[in-house]
Amino acid sequence: MSKISRRNFTRLAGASLATLSTPLFAPNVLGQAKPKLVVIGGGPGGGTLAHYVQKDAAGAIDVTLVEPQRTFTTCFFSNLYIGGLRNFNSITFNYDKLSQRGVRMAHLMAASIDRDKKQVVLAGGTRLPYDRLAIAPGVDLKFDSVPGYSEEAAQIMPHAWKAGPQTQLLASKLNALKDGDLIVMVAPPNPYRCPPGPYERVSMFAHVLKKKGFKKSRIVILDPKPAFSKQAVFAEGWEKHYPGMIEWQDPKMHGGIKNVDPKTGEIKTDLASYKAALANIIPAQMAGKIARDAALVDPSGFCPIDPENMKSKMDANIFVLGDACIAGDMPKSAFSANSQAKVAAMVIRSELAGARAFPARYSNTCWSLIETDDAIKIGAAYEPGEGKIKQASGFVSQKGEAADIHKQNYKESVDWYAGIVADIFG
Amino acid sequence: MTIVRCLLQGVATTATIMTAAMGAIVLSAGSAVAAGDMELGRYLASECMTCHRAGAASGPIPNIYGMNEKRISYLLKGYRDKSLPNDAMQNSAMRLKDGDIESLALFFSKTSKP
Repeated sequence: MSKISRRNFTRLAGASLATLSTPLFAPNVLGQAKPKLVVIGGGPGGGTLAHYVQKDAAGAIDVTLVEPQRTFTTCFFSNLYIGGLRNFNSITFNYDKLSQRGVRMAHLMAASIDRDKKQVVLAGGTRLPYDRLAIAPGVDLKFDSVPGYSEEAAQIMPHAWKAGPQTQLLASKLNALKDGDLIVMVAPPNPYRCPPGPYERVSMFAHVLKKKGFKKSRIVILDPKPAFSKQAVFAEGWEKHYPGMIEWQDPKMHGGIKNVDPKTGEIKTDLASYKAALANIIPAQMAGKIARDAALVDPSGFCPIDPENMKSKMDANIFVLGDACIAGDMPKSAFSANSQAKVAAMVIRSELAGARAFPARYSNTCWSLIETDDAIKIGAAYEPGEGKIKQASGFVSQKGEAADIHKQNYKESVDWYAGIVADIFG
Repeated sequence: MTIVRCLLQGVATTATIMTAAMGAIVLSAGSAVAAGDMELGRYLASECMTCHRAGAASGPIPNIYGMNEKRISYLLKGYRDKSLPNDAMQNSAMRLKDGDIESLALFFSKTSKP
């Protein structure tokens, strides 16, 4: 018991020192009013942050999560729904547990951020004051980055890059195909949400076609990039499971996307024209609207952050998490957003409640399913360095790996999914 | 990977068995255990929770809450020096210092599964 007591003493002493070393926040710590954290966006970044600050600050910080939707469908694992391997309910979550844990839910759209007054203005005009604000608005799609494409066209040629009705639309169109029908995917340019995602999706398209016994259908990927994540192992898996079904074209092979026509299903490149029974158009991306409206983006359309703490370089009272931020070497992924949120939660507890601060460290792993029980993965550890979030180490699946390794990867991914959604939604 | 699964499942089973004796182990573990820092462990553990939060007693990503403190330290050092296989775990462990490992072991041994 004496050792435990010494440990507690050390912890308390550390907390006191931290409080004394942050006099700026002393009035809040002394309890005249609880410091306020407002979080915009209830996905992997925002949900995790709200959850962790509420849990670890133990009531010392007032946490409000602004999210207009009552339920959230995860983009990650939505490809498995498209492939018929999961049902839609299994990738859809509500905020009841976060609310029960004490996170105040505001199911309204955040209309704007008044940075001067440190207030979030909700749709309808209600103002939420904050001591610290975190935004995790995800990405918006640049529909006009693909000639002929638009938000209206997406009802016929779905992007399904924001999970929900678009995902269901894409799955229903896939399931309505006949043998011999052509699928065309227009892949997105960098940077975009989930770098291996388009290629896992194509794998799931092929899985469905194969399961239906189709022999004549093909899938063409028109890619604006010269290479993509885990390309060698994807190509190996496609050849193994779906020989001759998938054709990937880089810009040298197609010459550029000239036009897509939702009325005819025609997709023209510089060198050819395709009549697609199913077109999946994934356009270029940018930080969500609230980040752009609040002038938190740079000319790239994404938000620069301080790699030591995830604070916006435009406003030190605002943290930017997930796909909307410029995270250096980290990919835009749910795992990354979740990792970034934990650094931000630690910093916010330190600044608002006097908790101890530790050096930032980040991690990411992305699993991609190629065929049932055949998954590949890529992962890395990251730390601040050279003014960005810099990769410190990493790993990636290799060609020629044994089937039981890929089967184990898939089982890992299922366990990971259960873990991360509990981490995000409570 | 089969080796990893068996090993981790074995660890989970061991942890269950060891839980009843855990208090005595902590008290007799000596200075190496005393170096653990609960708050540092809480922060570092947040990285583990992304995958392990919902882990079952057995499975590819097992539950590690309530696991014996010495056992966690032994496993993390094994992943750090790559004597235990699993690229994700090796990658996570390779930047851990001894104090980090002791803090993680302390945190998980003292914390119930959420």
